[in-house]
Amino acid sequence: MKEITYINPVLLIAVPLALAFIIPILKFVWEKSIKWIPVAGFLFDLIVSITLIPIVLQKNIIVKIGGTTTPFSINLVVGPAGLLLSIMISLAGFLVAIYALKYIQEGDKTKYHILFMLLLTGAIGVVLTGDIFNLFVFFEVLCISSYALVGYLGNRAGIESSIKYLIQGSIGSSLLLVGIGLIYGQYGTLNMADLAAQIKTADSISLFVPMFFMITGLGIEAAIFPLNSWLPDAHSSAPSSISAVLSGIAIEVGLYAMMRILFTIFAAESFMGFLLFLGVITLLIGEMSAFSQNNIKRMLAYSSIGQIGLIVFAFSIATASGLSGGFFQMISHTLNKALLFLATGFMIYRTGSMEISSFRGLGKKMPLTALFFTIGTFSIIGLPPFVGFASKFLIFKAALAKQELLFIILIAVIILTTVIEGAYFFRIIQTLYFKESDDKSSKQESAITALIPMFIFALLILILGIYPNWIMKFIHSAASELLNKMSYLRSVLG
Amino acid sequence: MILFYMMIFAFVGAFLIYFAGKSFPRIKEILAVVISFLLFLFVALLYGKDFQINYHNFLGFHLFLRINMFSWLFALTITFLGFLSIIFSLSYMKDKKNNAFYYMNMLFVNIAMLGIVLAGDLISFFIFWEIMSWSTFLLISYKKGSALPASMKYIIMSIIGSLSMLIGILYLYDLTDTTIISQLSHIIRFINKGDVIFVVILFSIAFGIKNAVIPFHNWLPPAHSEAPSPFSAILSGILIKMGVYGFLLLFYVIIGLDIIFHLTGLTIVLNVLAAITIIFPTFLAILQNDAKRLLAWSTVAQAGYIFMGITYGTELSVAGGIFHFLNHAIFKALMFLAVGAIEYRTKGIRDLNSLGGFIKKMPFTFAAMLIGAMGLIGLPLTNGFVSKWLIYKTLILNGSPFLAFAALIGTWGTILYSYKLIHNIFLGQLPAKFENIQKAPFSMKMPMMILSTIIIFFGILPGIPLQFINKIIVSFGYHPLNVSLFGIVSDSGNLNIINILAATFVIGVLIVLFFRSGRKSVRVDQYDNYAAGSFIPKEKYSYTNSFYAPLDRFLNSFLKDYIDIFYCKSAALIRHFCNGIRKIYTGYVGSYVMYILLFLAVLIFVQLNWSVF
Repeated sequence: MKEITYINPVLLIAVPLALAFIIPILKFVWEKSIKWIPVAGFLFDLIVSITLIPIVLQKNIIVKIGGTTTPFSINLVVGPAGLLLSIMISLAGFLVAIYALKYIQEGDKTKYHILFMLLLTGAIGVVLTGDIFNLFVFFEVLCISSYALVGYLGNRAGIESSIKYLIQGSIGSSLLLVGIGLIYGQYGTLNMADLAAQIKTADSISLFVPMFFMITGLGIEAAIFPLNSWLPDAHSSAPSSISAVLSGIAIEVGLYAMMRILFTIFAAESFMGFLLFLGVITLLIGEMSAFSQNNIKRMLAYSSIGQIGLIVFAFSIATASGLSGGFFQMISHTLNKALLFLATGFMIYRTGSMEISSFRGLGKKMPLTALFFTIGTFSIIGLPPFVGFASKFLIFKAALAKQELLFIILIAVIILTTVIEGAYFFRIIQTLYFKESDDKSSKQESAITALIPMFIFALLILILGIYPNWIMKFIHSAASELLNKMSYLRSVLG
Repeated sequence: MILFYMMIFAFVGAFLIYFAGKSFPRIKEILAVVISFLLFLFVALLYGKDFQINYHNFLGFHLFLRINMFSWLFALTITFLGFLSIIFSLSYMKDKKNNAFYYMNMLFVNIAMLGIVLAGDLISFFIFWEIMSWSTFLLISYKKGSALPASMKYIIMSIIGSLSMLIGILYLYDLTDTTIISQLSHIIRFINKGDVIFVVILFSIAFGIKNAVIPFHNWLPPAHSEAPSPFSAILSGILIKMGVYGFLLLFYVIIGLDIIFHLTGLTIVLNVLAAITIIFPTFLAILQNDAKRLLAWSTVAQAGYIFMGITYGTELSVAGGIFHFLNHAIFKALMFLAVGAIEYRTKGIRDLNSLGGFIKKMPFTFAAMLIGAMGLIGLPLTNGFVSKWLIYKTLILNGSPFLAFAALIGTWGTILYSYKLIHNIFLGQLPAKFENIQKAPFSMKMPMMILSTIIIFFGILPGIPLQFINKIIVSFGYHPLNVSLFGIVSDSGNLNIINILAATFVIGVLIVLFFRSGRKSVRVDQYDNYAAGSFIPKEKYSYTNSFYAPLDRFLNSFLKDYIDIFYCKSAALIRHFCNGIRKIYTGYVGSYVMYILLFLAVLIFVQLNWSVF
């Protein structure tokens, strides 16, 4: 068979990591250029990830680092699922970095850019690794940089929620570590494929306990109810560009890690029924809490909880179409929520307030920003022809294909939450366009470097909403990779 | 592909209006008129065609557009009324800000409705349905202020409806493995009755909400009265009739005649709902003091007639239902436009208690309103007469006296509120502040004139529209009606407009002779006519104030919109509950840590004791 040459996926992690540590050196040489470093880094990642697509669609890429044979070396497993997420991460990272060029004005910018790069590098590491201890390490990189970034603005609310996040996050990390330790003690290996080969299916309590520890630990970052109490505070007090990444990427990466462990290592199908309910409850509680919020960023944060609930629900259906729906919903949530947070960032900057009522008449004053915001809300509610419709449609289709009464009841609950979601998002649209503002100041649009990423997000939302088929093949193979434990084993262990 | 290019053209045109409108203010109006006229022309040229095309593939579903007689009639009505109301908007929207946005959304609504009736599969049906919902939301909100809660009510009801339809579509897909309408109609007979009823219920929620059938009607009155008047005409004339289209599609095209009327109890329930929808809104309309709200309640009631017609299920009733849809679209649009003209000239006054005496000032609008009201009541020689005749006839012939009685009561109420509307706006005394009111501008008169002409034309020659309707009901599997140009011939009695024309003429001559033979009448001033010549200060009395006061006092205690109150109460309850849920996030980090540890502890405990996983 002809060997296909491709760029080594290690660079996806190595390049941004190296660039992150070049930043402090560069500060003394050429300070103006540091804000362009993340842009360059994630553009590189985006391009490399996209070039890897055709190869990964044929077979998983396994990269071994510093070791001998597979189970004993540190390895990366670049499968469709991991690559899909890494594309989303680098895309969001690239666009948000462009946004941050103008948006980040205060504070120590060097630290911001380093932490931003580390956060996303950690995220890419989590999705590409094939080893649970590495997963933990990358996960810590992601979490610690997000603790720091939440408190970046240095105001009271930021520090307070950063500390709260830190406390809960470190409990999560330690639980995860305990879980990993328990597994390692029993099987003497940390390689996911090797573990998966030894654990046929989770059946004894000695497997369930470490599984529960890991689920709880990862569930905190994945924002599953009742482990998500840190999220509304943290997401609302971070700078908007960081909120976009936290909401759009970080919690989804946590969820991906959790699903990877559940599907690949433990193959715990009986646990999925429980997650189904947990997902719907998370969705319900997230949307209901968002309903009566007056603070826009808190509202968006609660809405993220709801969306995560929906994704958990989709994954827990545990069929190929359910997982496709889950992955599609991840993509659509990343696009929607990033767009909403980016648009909100400049709206807050303009009005100086996070209260929704202060956004009156912004449709006149910032027409493009308001338009992009509207596209984001329409998409997140699930109205055609935007991408949110395609993803919700897939989830409903997957759930109904089960043809069980239980799923019809759960779908009814999801409909209720969509109605609530519609109610609060349409209220903001009305505030933007149909309420007169008191101050008659003139038009002042967001900065052009902020409009470009918003425009690209909005365009992607529209295009993927009309032509979802374009990415369906990729999503299907991602779903079947995650669902099919045996093919993952074979691809790694040979 | 012509259908697809037409839709693309329309969507591009709508965007063009918005962006052109930003830079060249005049051009957007011209563009809006031209595009809506071209759409009308395209659709008209498609007469008699019957084909479908696959235009897109969405997540593995093939999306189709198709045209046949059934969708053609609806498409023609949509584009025609869309065109007229855009002409009407030219002066109505003249001084308003942001009208590029208005025209764009107006076109969006029209295109989306066109898409609904041209959809050849349920997924594209749903997609266009949703586009219609959100563009309608934006248009209802357009007037700001009290329009905002109205549009909120609309969009929430609408989301509930469309999601239940989506579930219905997917449920049907799981059973039949297709969403293409022409295939569904073949496969549906192999599905068991219980599933069919479940699907019918899911779809009926969506269509019932759009069609404002009680108990799903409560969004309609505020939405219709708060929307800009040309859009109210569209909303009332055709948008809510998308529900009718949906019901027809579901009952007669997808499920088919031989199944739907064998589902026990279904038709009875739907008929009773229709009867309730006729009676209560009619009386609520009598009590209204806002001209547009009165018309809105009247729309709910008339939608009840249409619903009665299409769910009763005989040839005559279905033909009557479809014909009444067409007629209602015409006369209700006309009446909304007439009220819109008044609103435009009085700078936004719709309160029936403060208007009056406009007959001399706006005679043309008066004539239009009168013709519209005649059609609404169903007087002979107007179109409403023929369609109501068909519905009554079939209700009586098939032995449903109670339903017929409900329909009659509805007509009685219709006379009362139509008279109230005409009297309070055009008759009585002209309030002093309206002395300088001007006539309606030409761009308002023209649509009203066309619509009035059609009402009379269809009233005298009902054979023309009935021929099209005949083809539709034949395609549903009914026997054709025996239609002539002037009426219908059937075994149980004929409808012949020529006889009615002759009778009307004779009665008219008799009336003229009778009044000629009497004493000469004395002309009195408009301010004099109620006091028989004796002087009463103008401002002291106004007969337009609290019209039907005794009836009002009598009905008011019984007629409250309990359903609306119920919905509002439940919304408040949910809001309250949501506030409670939010308290889970206490803000105290100790309790958060407790949640985490409890979660882990409960998981382990449950597994240890019961090993459920």
